[in-house]
Formats: sequence, structure tokens, C-alpha cells
Amino acid sequence: MTNIKTGLLAATAVLLAAPAFAEWAPERPLEFIVASGAGGGTDNFARTIQAAITRGDVIEQPIVVLNKGGGSGAEAFLYAKQNAENPHKLIFGTNNVYLLPHVAKLAYEAKDLQPVAALALDEFLIWVKADSPYQTAMDMIEAAKAAPGTIVFGGSQSKDTDETLVALIEQTTGAEFKYVPFNGGGEVGVQLAGGHVAANVNNPNENLGQWQAGAIRPLCVFAPQRMAESAPIQGEMGWHDIPTCKEQGLDIESYQMPRTVWLPAGTPPEVLAYYEAALQKVSESQEWQDYLTKTSQSAAFLTGDALASFIAKSEGDTVKVFEAEGWSAK
Amino acid sequence: MTVRRFHAEAATAAATGILGLIAIYGAAELGFGWEDHGPQAGYFPFYVGLLLIGASLWNLIRAFVAYRAATAEEEPFLPREQLMRICKFSAALLIFVAATLMLGIYVGTAGYITWSAWRQGGYRLPVSLGIGLGFSVALYLIFETLFRIPLLKGPIEPLLGIY
Amino acid sequence: MGNFDLLMTGFGIAITPMHLMLMVCGVLMGLVVGVLPGLGAPNGVSLLIPLTFTLDPTSAIILLSSMYWGALFGGSTTSILFNIPGEPSSVATTFDGYPMAQSGQSTRALTLAFMSAGIGALMGVIVITLLAGWASNFALRFGAPEYFAVYFLAFAAFIGMGSASPAKTMVSLTVGLLLASVGMDTVTGEIRLTYGFSELLGGISFLVVVIGLFGIGELLATVQEGLRFRGVASRIHLRDVFRTIAELPRYWATTLRSGLIGIWMGITPGGPTAASFMSYGIARQASRKGAAFGTGRPEGIVAPETADHSAGTCAMLPMLALGVPSSATAAVMMGGLMIWGLTPGPMLFATKPDFVWGLIASMYISNIVGVILVLATVPLFAAMLRIPFAIIGPMIVAICFVGAYTVGSSTFDLWLVLLFGLVGYLFNKLDYPLAPLVLAMVLGHKAENAFHQSMLLSDGSLGIFFANPLVSSIMVVGLALLIVPKLLQLGARLRRPATVE
Repeated sequence: MTNIKTGLLAATAVLLAAPAFAEWAPERPLEFIVASGAGGGTDNFARTIQAAITRGDVIEQPIVVLNKGGGSGAEAFLYAKQNAENPHKLIFGTNNVYLLPHVAKLAYEAKDLQPVAALALDEFLIWVKADSPYQTAMDMIEAAKAAPGTIVFGGSQSKDTDETLVALIEQTTGAEFKYVPFNGGGEVGVQLAGGHVAANVNNPNENLGQWQAGAIRPLCVFAPQRMAESAPIQGEMGWHDIPTCKEQGLDIESYQMPRTVWLPAGTPPEVLAYYEAALQKVSESQEWQDYLTKTSQSAAFLTGDALASFIAKSEGDTVKVFEAEGWSAK
Repeated sequence: MTVRRFHAEAATAAATGILGLIAIYGAAELGFGWEDHGPQAGYFPFYVGLLLIGASLWNLIRAFVAYRAATAEEEPFLPREQLMRICKFSAALLIFVAATLMLGIYVGTAGYITWSAWRQGGYRLPVSLGIGLGFSVALYLIFETLFRIPLLKGPIEPLLGIY
Repeated sequence: MGNFDLLMTGFGIAITPMHLMLMVCGVLMGLVVGVLPGLGAPNGVSLLIPLTFTLDPTSAIILLSSMYWGALFGGSTTSILFNIPGEPSSVATTFDGYPMAQSGQSTRALTLAFMSAGIGALMGVIVITLLAGWASNFALRFGAPEYFAVYFLAFAAFIGMGSASPAKTMVSLTVGLLLASVGMDTVTGEIRLTYGFSELLGGISFLVVVIGLFGIGELLATVQEGLRFRGVASRIHLRDVFRTIAELPRYWATTLRSGLIGIWMGITPGGPTAASFMSYGIARQASRKGAAFGTGRPEGIVAPETADHSAGTCAMLPMLALGVPSSATAAVMMGGLMIWGLTPGPMLFATKPDFVWGLIASMYISNIVGVILVLATVPLFAAMLRIPFAIIGPMIVAICFVGAYTVGSSTFDLWLVLLFGLVGYLFNKLDYPLAPLVLAMVLGHKAENAFHQSMLLSDGSLGIFFANPLVSSIMVVGLALLIVPKLLQLGARLRRPATVE
């Protein structure tokens, strides 16, 4: 008798709390497939979400995180293709999901994955060494025009976001730089602080430590508006004091990297709805806000059509850069 | 049947040489030249492959020379008895891997350990089964419970409610 | 406030019941993770990260770093007892540790390994304590050409002298280099040598190859001789442990040299694995009994273990002070740091002294805790050798395959283990040295990347490797290590006929 009552109460509670996605809930432990090695940006992204879900009791089932970072993340996306229609595997990536197939011959296509949500936008900035002669992005571009191919940009990976951005700057301004790929953002930050490269286009988080120490400084940020207010980081300067590149006369409206969550293609719509709602809760949690502040990323929560059009625009813009550089894989 | 050292040396040298050829083929597809700004993607694999082929040829020649110089009373490299042991063990490994791929790690492992204890260790079947199952349970506790790492599962685990 | 005062404050933070408990838990879990091949320290640490969200950062890093030390200790255990390196950095420990254990001295081998590991770690922490600021500035001077020079030096130190046939060494080396170049190339962004197999996209994991070559390969060799372990498991006496400890001062020169090599490789981002190989190679060249290396020489255990641990601890410094992890585990911890809201970088020492010095103080304590705990497990592990082969053999097989599976959750890796098991057996039987293959897999692609980056920077001129005093002196030392032993060998060969006449 009492058991039935509590059961009914619980059922009503569930129905009231989550009427939109009561149709489907995971029946097995979830797998979070991370398209980077342990410790990478995408890995932190996935593990923060895992923590927020576990602590907020957003999803009852246990969660296992698996890193599949091989081939710049292609390993994870191939895994998604092999697990088509499996509703218990979420894939964590960036824009690499839809950009990789354009630059490399791979056995998957972007349509093998179903976008669920984008939860944050990571910004890109131009950074130079503290004692660099360049005060604005345009100083540097003029210098590059005067001596083509001598100013060295360090970046992480090849034909990835960093090199794409440098190529975009070159195509927009006609300047010519030299790009040298390293293994990761942290390494590129130190190469800059040590004076082995002239500049880099790291995300805020990757260069924060060196900026605090006054070893390097930012020139401008590739965003439509300045970054959010923050406590001063180096001297008087905080994130909001960094001008946008557009302000400085560099005609690139925005270049941002979304942090995205995907499902294998072919899952029913109620599964998608369930995860959209769950991630919505995550994006409202305190853990998530802390993560955004600590890593200096911009908040964004995109799902459904908004997400689809974001992806379409981002993909279209980037593919133009690829084609101009001759990187497109046939 | 015994294996003579010459056969083993020659087969190994041939295998490493073929590996070198495969590498050169793969590298040639990428381009192995030296561009203005340093080597192309296939540059290193190409020349490493060449070195491998060279060293393999050298090993082949040396094996052949040693073979010609050897007297008739050469000690067998792998006597029949040892060869049989290796073949049996390798066959068991092969079956273990194939079974693991089909039935999952837990079932494959339990089966393999049970079989070895029973057929090779001379333990009674119930004891062997206990050892095998016990080991699988220990694996489950360490990997899935303690470290939350999912191991490969086959068709049987879902029937027990383990995913 | 001097470093010493800061360290004392650090001890005040680290020595609380809560932190001591975390250290013990961390070390114990690390031991488990380290003993299981494949499931290495990086995996273990990343699994603990979600647990640390509820801890304050100092407690969290104490837990994670203790787990790392535990894993480093545990990794040597299986290297010595079963020839299966539990951690990549304990591959070099198998060379002499396993033969010594086979000759019935497993207690001695384990004790030597753990004690020198502990000493190495302490040497590393002392350097961090004294030279934190200086060392991180030094590391900043390392660009691509300097990286290449460091890798070259490690190669040269190890390859310089070997007793195997040069052509066979070359085969082993080139096979390793080819295996390392499979997958995505960082510098060109090209996918190489995958021949259309998606499984090869992520490259061939070094751990999987090592598990096959050493673990399965050794089992096959054991089986060939009949279904028994070749070693006689000796009885364990606590006396053996103490006798071995008393033996340690004899190897002070090896210990000191290896510790310095480890510190050097930990600060310059060479990493613990390269450090242990380099140290082993140099110890072999320096020893008058160099030829006996590989048969169970105590120096052959002391050298790699000391270097491995001093490099492992020193790798924390570039991670904290620069944000450059020089080992895979350090990379994971750095991810943790960022999640906790700490920014690795030069300012971390100034802005979060409690965190940094608490960690450094805990490194002293947890390494001592680690040595004690791991010594306590020696009888347990040595007793495992007495289990009949028909039972322990298949269990080792299963652990090898399970371990390989956990590296990348890929079934393809199971086939690779089988394949490399046969390769390892055959190579051993035919006197192909395995070590060059392993070293080439660890350093090959990194060295190639650094070389390629240097070429990009210099527009294809090799002069960049002699462009400044730092890089040229490392290159010169490397070249000397490569050439001098050959010259000495040649000289000895020329002299010998002369004395006969």
C-alpha cells in the first residue's frame, strides 16, 4: 500500500519535473566520447559536464568518459559512426566534427553525427611577446607585408583552427606569415614566451598564465564585441580591455570555436530532446558558470535550428579558407 | 618437424623487408621530397623504409652465408617438441582473442583460464571453473566498479543486466 | 621569504591527517593502476579528476600526484616479476630487473628498484625546492631545435653502444620509427601509413606494442621451455630487503648520475621514459662490466629507476611554472589544475604559494609513504611467482589483453598484442635487440616533429642545430655519445691483434 503510494508520488514528481522529455530516459550507463586526449580542452569540457550532471543529479545513470583523440579527434567521430543509433553515447568535440572531413580523407562524414548542443564559444586572440614592437594587429600585418614570410606564427596542429585563422588573416589582408605547428596550445604559449615564435592565436585559457606573468600580451580578439568584464589580469588590463580585431582595422568579424556535443546519427527525436534538456540544465548550473569564468570562454547555448545555422555558417566560411589554401581533400 | 635457424632468419628478414616496402609505398603516396620549408610528410617514412630494406637484405645475406658455412651437425633452432608447445600456446591465444571478440572480455577470459587450469594444470573442472569465473569477477570489480572503465562485452552480459 | 621557509609552510599544509590519508589512498590506487599494464598513470589520474571537484585544489593535487608516484612504483613491479612493463617508463627496468628476478633474487630486484626510485624522486623534489625559479626560466629557452637536440641526445646515449649485430639493431630501430609515424602527423597534418584502415588513424599505441613484445613475447619464451617459469621463486625474508638496502651505497655513482639525467630530462621536456632509457644506456657505457648488462646487473635496475622517478617529479616543475607537461600524466594533472581554476604559469608560484608549496612538501612525504607501502607489497608479489604456471600464465595473458584493450578501448589492439607477441618472441630468439624499437617508438615521432619544426623555422637550413651555444652543446654531447664508444671499440679491436703478435 505505502509502496504503491510512494511509487505514484515519485512518478507524478518525475512527470511534473520533466514533462518535455519524460518519453525517453537512458536505460544504461552513458559513455562520453571525448575527441581529444586526456587533459585537452575538449576533455576538460566533457569532464566538467560530467561533474555538473553527477552533482546536479541531472541524469541518474552513471557516466563513463572515454578519450579517443587519435587523428585530431577523427577516432571519436568514427566511433560515433560505428555506433549509429546508439542513444547512450555522447560525443564531445569542437568544430572539428564538421571541418575534419574537408581536410583529410576520412571514413566518416559530418552527417554521421547529430548535433545536440553547443555550450560555449572559445575566443581567439592575437598574442605577441611583451617586448614585441607591435602594438596593434595592423602593425604586425604591415610588418608582414614589408617582409613576407618572415614573421612566425606558432599554433597547435596543422590545418586545424589555428592555422585556419592565420590563413584567414593572410587572405583578408594580403600579408604573408610563416606558420609553425606545435602539439598543443600550452606548448605554443611557452614557445611565444621564450621568444621562439613571434606571435600565436591561442585561446584565452591557453595563454593566461604567461599573460599574468607579463611575458606576453594580447593585441586583439576575433569577436564581434569585446569579451566579458573581468578582474584585472596584467597591470590594469582585464579581458574586457582587449580591443576587437575589427576595432583595430582587421576585417574579420568573428572567429570563435564552439564547444559541441553530438549523438550518433539515427537516434529518435525524443532522445535528442532529452539530452537538449539535460544540457540546458547543465548550462544553467553553477559548475558550468565557474568553468566558463575560469577558462575565459563566452557563454552560448545553441540547440536545434540555431545550432544548425551556426554550423552551416561556420562550415561554409571555413571551407572557403580551405579552398583558397588548397587544403581540401577530395 | 623442426625449424632451422636459417629458415627463421630468412623468414624474419623477408618479413621486415616487406614491411619496408609497404612503408615506402605508403610514403610515396604522400610525397617524400624536400620542399622549400623542409621535408614532406612521407620523407622520413620513405628513407626509414629504405634503411629497413637495406638492413633486411644484409641480414638475409648473412643468414645465407652462415647457412653455407654451417656444418651438417647444426643444433636445431626449434626442436619438434618446443615447436609443438609454441604452436599449441599460440593457437590457444588465437582462440582466446577470437572468443573475446565474439563473447566479450569477461567470458573469453573466464573460458580461457578455466580451460588452461583444467587441461594443462590438471585441476578438476569445478575448481578450474571457479578460478576462471573468480578472475573475471575480479576484473569486473577492478575495472568497472573501481575505475569505471568499461571492458568489451559480448551478448551474455546484457542478459545479466550488465552493460 | 626564502624557498626553505616556504617549504616549511608547505609541510604545515601537507601534514594533516586528511592529507596523509589522501596520500596513502592515492599511492595505493596508483599501485593498482601501475601494476596493471595499459591502465597507466595518465588513465588513473584522469579517472580521479571528477572526484577532486569536491576537494580544495591543494588536497586534490596531493591525491592526484600521490597516485602518480604509486603508479610509477607499481609499474616497476610487473617489469621485474613478469617482464611486463606496467608503465611505459619502466620498460628499461625489465632489461636487468627481470633476469635478476629469474635468477631467484626477486626480492633483491624489487627492493633495489623501489629504493632507487624513492631516492630518485627525492633528488627531483630537492631540485624543485631549490631551483624552482631558475629551472623554469631555463626551460623557456627550449625551442624546436633544442627539443630535437634533447631527443637526439637520448637516442645517442642509448644506441651508442650495443652488443647486437648492427644490421639487426638497424632493423629494430627502423621498425620502431615506422610504427611511430603511423597516424596523424602534427606538422604536416597528413594521415600517414594507415592504408585506409580507420583503426590505425590514432596511430599504433606504444603501450600496446610493449605489452605484446615484452609480456606475450616472454610468455611464449617461457612456454617453449616447458610450462614453468624459468626463475625459482625464492623465499621472502625481510632480511633480504634490509640486506639490499645496505647494498645501495655501493651504487652511489650510478644513482647520482641517473638522478641528474632524470632531472635534466624532466626539466627539458624529454620525459621520464626517455630519461630511463638514456640513464640505462649511459650506465652501461660507464660500467666496467657493461657487457654483463642485461643479465641482472644491479646498476641496470638502479639507473633506469632513479632516472624515471627524478624525471617524473621534475616534470611537475615545467607543468606548474610554464604550463608545459613533459609527461602524459602531467598533462592530465594540468587539465585538472585548469578545472580547479588555477592557471599554470610563472605567476602560480607567486599567487598560490600554499598550493605550490603544499604540493612540493607532499612530494617528499608521499614518496616516502610510497616506498614503505610498496616494500610491504614485495612478499605478496613475489609469492605470485609460486603459483603454478598453468594458472598464472593464462592470467598474465588475460591481463595483457585487458590492459591493451583499456589503452584505447579498441578491439583492433587485441590483434596487435598477439602479433607483437610473436614478433617479440622471434626477435628475442634471433638476437634482434628490442630496446631500440621501443625507444624509437617513444621518441621517433617527437624527434621528427621537432626536426620538421626547426626546418620550418630555418627555411630548411641544418645550421639551426648549431645556431646558439645551448643547442650546439647538446648536439655535440649527443654526437660524442654516439661516436666515442664506436671509436673506443675500434681502438680496442686494433690494439688486440698487436698484443697477440
